Amino acid sequence: MEYKLLVGDKECAVEVTPPNADGLRVVTVDGTSSDVAVTAVSANHYHLVVDGRGVNLFVAMDQDGTWVSVEGRARLVQDADKAQRRTSRAPGAGPKEVAPPTPAEVVEIMVEVGQEVTEGQAVVVVSAMKMKMTLTAPYSGTVTAIHAKPGDRVDRGKILVDIEPIREEGTNE
Amino acid sequence: MFTKILVANRGEIAVRIMRTAREMGISTVTVYSEADSGALHVLNADESVLLGESDPAASYLNMDKIIDAAKKTGAQAIHPGYGFLAENPVFAERIAAAGLVFIGPPGRVMADLGDKTVARRIMQSSGVPVIPGTSTRETDPDRLTAAAEEIGYPVLVKAAAGGGGKGMRVVEKPEELPAAAKLAASEALTAFGDGAIYLEKYLDRPRHVEFQIFGDTYGNVVHLFERECSIQRRHQKIIEETPSPALDEDLRARMGAAAVAAAQAAGYVNAGTVEFLLDQLGEFYFLEVNTRLQVEHPVTEMTTGLDLVRLQLEVAAGSPLPFSQEQISPRGHAIECRIYAEDAECDFMPSPGKILHFRSPEGPGVRFDHGIYSGFEVPVFYDPILGKLVVWAQDRQASCARMVRALQETVVLGIKTPIEFLLDVMASDAFRTGHTNTRFIDDHFTEWQPDPSANQTAMLGFIAGELAGPAAIHNDVDRSGLGSPPSPWQTLGSWDMAR
Repeated sequence: MEYKLLVGDKECAVEVTPPNADGLRVVTVDGTSSDVAVTAVSANHYHLVVDGRGVNLFVAMDQDGTWVSVEGRARLVQDADKAQRRTSRAPGAGPKEVAPPTPAEVVEIMVEVGQEVTEGQAVVVVSAMKMKMTLTAPYSGTVTAIHAKPGDRVDRGKILVDIEPIREEGTNE
Repeated sequence: MFTKILVANRGEIAVRIMRTAREMGISTVTVYSEADSGALHVLNADESVLLGESDPAASYLNMDKIIDAAKKTGAQAIHPGYGFLAENPVFAERIAAAGLVFIGPPGRVMADLGDKTVARRIMQSSGVPVIPGTSTRETDPDRLTAAAEEIGYPVLVKAAAGGGGKGMRVVEKPEELPAAAKLAASEALTAFGDGAIYLEKYLDRPRHVEFQIFGDTYGNVVHLFERECSIQRRHQKIIEETPSPALDEDLRARMGAAAVAAAQAAGYVNAGTVEFLLDQLGEFYFLEVNTRLQVEHPVTEMTTGLDLVRLQLEVAAGSPLPFSQEQISPRGHAIECRIYAEDAECDFMPSPGKILHFRSPEGPGVRFDHGIYSGFEVPVFYDPILGKLVVWAQDRQASCARMVRALQETVVLGIKTPIEFLLDVMASDAFRTGHTNTRFIDDHFTEWQPDPSANQTAMLGFIAGELAGPAAIHNDVDRSGLGSPPSPWQTLGSWDMAR
């Protein structure tokens, strides 16, 4: 079986053979092969023997992918094809939108519909876990809609303010 | 002794306080907000009272509701934990006025020490060294400039009502002072409702060394030795240890004596902490007194063998301290790592959300005080602390090695935590040699990245899950720890078992 997996921003091709008579599978990650035996200890706990060395992996799945803890080092592993579709609208990856990077509470909306804003201008203040974060305009433009009010609890990535970009003269954008 | 107490807090500290209460045969009442209806402190209490909406002002900061809950449930005393109302003198006085006991120092002492300028004056008059600076609340830019000239640049602008680094600014040159003072005052006003500021000499790369103090109502005061808390991010501690690698017996004795003098000067009762900055020349200066049980109190418990919450309850109930200074002798070395819901890779940004799977570390010398479980939704409204991992071993090197082992055993999936970051700090030469200071993270770990060598093994975890089939993946949402998750032996019918 072949997989294309994503950990952080690193994509890897992974190939897995069926188990041999000893229960060992050959797993090849980007050209490097290991002999792997797997035991399911519980729904969230796998014991692996990788090239003769035992390691406990703890796993859990959510809509983003599979979380795996490797001796204290937790990773979110995603199917690369599915993840790409998601990250194209996901938050954090280059702030093209006025959206909080974490679930948050809206503290202050600093603009009004129709107002012109410049790139980098503070637009919304949100708060998460006692920490205030200022969301800024990703580009210069005009505020066309506001989707939240102070006190609202908003999800990660929810677009709070729509901004219509200004077309600068002399550019083809 | 009390027969029932109310814990006016949440999360790991509420759970920790109730453990001691249970050991002492004292019934517990917790309070909670709507967001915390399924929180561990609620599950572990004998009784719980809903305070109101999730906003702290409507719940954990609402004195009327909390005192009312204590009266209705018949609790005789209130433990405030840390944060929220723990250092609010009005809360302490109102509890006393209601005929209940506040488990902490008297309101008057908290009021004195809570104002950092008053605290400085108290310390100066009792011979405790303070950082050169102003001891009055100041807003006038001209007088601030004159004071800064006298202290010498760089200076630190601080909030009089301050704490946690809020309203704090380093000023390198005279021309930067007016703007910095204005900003600091406005930040202080927002954070504490008090815009008063003062100046201190800025010390380069000091260590943060604090002494646990304890006083009873009979005038006895002892110290329970130091905690080194230099490793901080955003002026908040993340790693603490005792003993401090920077103290020899002579310095320890001098600082301990200063801490006791400070406590006596303030008329201190119950648990508190005298914080000092220790500069590179080995000179120490009074920083502030925290009039509460500290987050990092377990490292002191590990090395002294004392239960500080038990002592707090005994002193609050009117008992004298059961030992003298000479009878306390610490043993071994303890380290604490704070496990927050935050992303160490992205400037420690908060990371609330659902914990899909949690597993606590175990084994010799390991203690994990936490307030979480598999399936718990970490709320967005409160401090991001999930728990404190504490280890004890015979010496510092063994303690470091034990912490690495315990961190490796700790599993928190579904939200970001600094476990991996802490692992790398613990394993670093910079930490192992004990050369820690308050700029440690900035100096050594600003460019920190997760170790890519773990990625390959993590992928094997993904593949193991895939091969097992979707039916096999049940996130363990057992809330109490009492139920049993679905058996994998039933759900993994087609799985190839390795022998």
